[in-house]
Amino acid sequence: MVKKITRRKFLKDTIVGGIALGTSLGGYRITYGQAKKPPGPIKIGGQGAISGAHADYGWQMMAGATLAIEEINAKGGILKRKLELKFMDEELKPATAVKNVRYLVTDWGADFLFGIDSSGSAMAVGPVLPELDRLCFFCHAATHRLTEELVAGKGIKQIFRMVAPVYQDALAAWVFKDAPEIKRWAGINCDYEYGYVAWNLFKENIRKFRPDVEFVAAAWAPFWTMDFSSHIAAVMAEKPDAIFATPWAGEGVMLLRQALMLGVFDKIQIWWQCMGGSVDLLEGISREVAADKFKGKLWATARYIHNYPATPENKTFVEAFRKRWGKFPNYSAEASYSTIYAIKIGVERAKSLETSKVAEALEGIELKTPAGPRLIRKEDHQAIYTVPGGKVVHSPDYPIPILGDLKIVPAKEYFRHPPFTPVAATK
Amino acid sequence: MIEKLLFQTLIGLSFSMYLWLLAAGLTLVFGVLGVLNFAHGSLFMLGAYATFTFYGKLGLNFWLSIFLSLLCVGGIGVILECLFFRRIYHIDLPYQLILTFGFILIFDDLVKMVWGGVAMIPPMPRFFEGNFNILGRPFPYYNIFIICAGIGVALLLWMILEKTWWGRMIRASASDREMASAIGINIPILFTNVFVFAAMLAALGGALGTPVRVVAPGIGTAMIIQAFVITVIGGLGNLKGAFVGAIIVGILTSYGILLFPIFELFIIFVVMAIVLMVKPQGLFGK
Repeated sequence: MVKKITRRKFLKDTIVGGIALGTSLGGYRITYGQAKKPPGPIKIGGQGAISGAHADYGWQMMAGATLAIEEINAKGGILKRKLELKFMDEELKPATAVKNVRYLVTDWGADFLFGIDSSGSAMAVGPVLPELDRLCFFCHAATHRLTEELVAGKGIKQIFRMVAPVYQDALAAWVFKDAPEIKRWAGINCDYEYGYVAWNLFKENIRKFRPDVEFVAAAWAPFWTMDFSSHIAAVMAEKPDAIFATPWAGEGVMLLRQALMLGVFDKIQIWWQCMGGSVDLLEGISREVAADKFKGKLWATARYIHNYPATPENKTFVEAFRKRWGKFPNYSAEASYSTIYAIKIGVERAKSLETSKVAEALEGIELKTPAGPRLIRKEDHQAIYTVPGGKVVHSPDYPIPILGDLKIVPAKEYFRHPPFTPVAATK
Repeated sequence: MIEKLLFQTLIGLSFSMYLWLLAAGLTLVFGVLGVLNFAHGSLFMLGAYATFTFYGKLGLNFWLSIFLSLLCVGGIGVILECLFFRRIYHIDLPYQLILTFGFILIFDDLVKMVWGGVAMIPPMPRFFEGNFNILGRPFPYYNIFIICAGIGVALLLWMILEKTWWGRMIRASASDREMASAIGINIPILFTNVFVFAAMLAALGGALGTPVRVVAPGIGTAMIIQAFVITVIGGLGNLKGAFVGAIIVGILTSYGILLFPIFELFIIFVVMAIVLMVKPQGLFGK
C-alpha cells in the first residue's frame, strides 16, 4: 500500500532533508577547505622615508626587502608559507611611524615589522611594540639609545636592530689613531642627536688612543642646511689638520662640494665623512672623485658598503640587486634584505610565528649575511658586524666611486658593549 | 679675530643673497597681491630642477639654462595665479596658507615622480671654478658672482619699481587696489604679471644655487622659513626691508656659527622677536 504523503509532511520532509543535506555538504566543504587550503601568507609590514628629500633611503629598504621576499617565495616561502610585503611612508615623523605600526599590526595583520629611517621615529615605535606583541627589525635608525636604553635598559625584547648604529661613525678614531701628524681635529656636525653622539663618541675614543689630540672647532648644521660655507669657514679659521663630518645624503654632498670651493682640501690632511660610503653620496661626488679633487684626503665609512666583504654571499646579493633594480644597494637595502632572511631563520628555528619564540630563536645567533657574519647580541638585540673605513676612490670597475684602501677593524673593538655607560647627547 | 670676522662677513653676505632672491618674490607677492605664499619655496625648487635639466642633463649653456628655467617657472606661475591664487585673494589668510601649503606637498612629490628622490648634482660651470685669495684664505669666484648678482637684482628691482610705468602701476595697486582699478589699471593682468615676476625671482635663486648645492625634493621648504623671518624683520611687503633683512639674517647666521656655535640657531629668531617687540610692522614696514 502506498503511503499517502500529505502536503504538510512533504514540506516538512523537504525542509528537514534540505537542511540535513545542506549541513552535510557545507560540513564537507568546510572540512575539505581546512584540509586542502594552503596556509595564508606571512605578512611583513615595513616603513621608511619614501617621499621627500630622503626618499631614496626608504626606497632602498623596500627594494632590499622585496628582493629577499621574491627569493624566499621562489623557494617555497617560510614553513611552506609565502611572504607578503606592505611598505608604508614613515615621512621621518614619529607620530606617522607609530600610526603605521598600529595600522600594520591591527588592521593589515602584520606578523613582523621592519624598516624605519629616523631615530626619532624608532624611539617612538620601540615602546609601542610590547603592546602590539610584534618584533620590529630596525634597518636604518642609528641612535644608540634604541638598543642601549630600550632593549638593554628597559627590556623591550621586541626590538632588533640589523644595521650598525652610531658606533660606526666613531670608527675614525681607530682608523687614524696611528697618524701622529694629525693632531688638530674639527667637527662639522648635524645639529641633532646623531651629530652630537657621533662627535662625542669619536672624541671619547680617540682621546683613549691619542691624548695629544686637540678638538679645535665644532660647527653645527641643522637638518636641511643648504649652505655650509659659514660652517666650513668657521672651522677652517682654526687651521685644523682633519675634519670629522656627519651631514649625510644630499647634505653631505653639498658640504663636500662647498668645501672644495673654499679650497679646504689644500689646507687639511684628512676629511672623515662618516656616512660618505653611502651610495647616494658617492654618486653625488663622482665627478669630483674622478677628477681627484679631494686629493686622496677624503675618507669615509657607512653601515654597509657594497664592495666589502669579498664573499660569495655579498657578490650574489649585489649582482641580484643590480639585476633587479639597476642600482647599487645602499646600507638600508642590505639591512632590510638581511632582515627578511633573519625572520626566515628565526621562524624556522622557532617553528612558530609567536613573537617571544622567534625573539628567543634569534638571540645570540650568528647570521650569514651579505655584510658578513652578523651576531645578534643577546643583551641589546644589536646586530654586530664589521664595516671597514676607507679612502673614497675612483675605480674603473665601478660606475660610481667606492671605498678603497680599506681599514678593517673588527666590530667587537669599536662597538659599545653592555653594561652601557651614558653617552653625552649634547653639543 | 678681525680677519676671521671679515672673512665670515663675506661668506655671510653670499648666503644673504640666496635668501634675498627668495625673500624678494615672497614679499612682493604679499605686498601687491596680499597672499602669503608658502609655496614660494617650491618655485625656488622648480627653478633648480629646470636648470639642472637644461644644464646638467641636456648640456645647454649655463646662462641659457637659467633663462629657460625662468621661462618655465614663469609659465607655472601663470597657471598657479590664473587657476588657483586668483580665487583666494579675498578670503582669510588661513585658507591661503592651506592652499599654498598643499602646493608644497604636491610639488615635492611631483618632482620626485619626474626626477626621482635622489639628490642630483649639476656640474659647476668651468669659468666659475677656483677662488681668490682674500685675507690669506681662498674665497670662491662663485661667491663673488652671487654677491654681485644679488646686488644687481636689488638695483634692477628698484629701477623697475621706481622708474618705470609698470612699477608705478604695481605701487598704485599695492597701495589701493580699487582706486588703481578705477583709473584704468587692469588689476587681474597686473597681478598675474607680478606673480610671474616673483616666481621668476624664486626660480633665479634656485637656478643660481645649482652649481654649489644639490637639487632635491624639499630644498625650497628648507629655505622658506628663513625667507619668512627675513620678511618679518624687514617688514612684510617691503622690498627694501627684505634686502636689509636678508643681509642681517645671512651675516648674523654666519657670525653665530663662528662665535656662538652652541646656540647659533636661535640668534635670528631672537632678532626677529626683538624687532617684533620694538617695531611689530618690521624695520621698514609702515
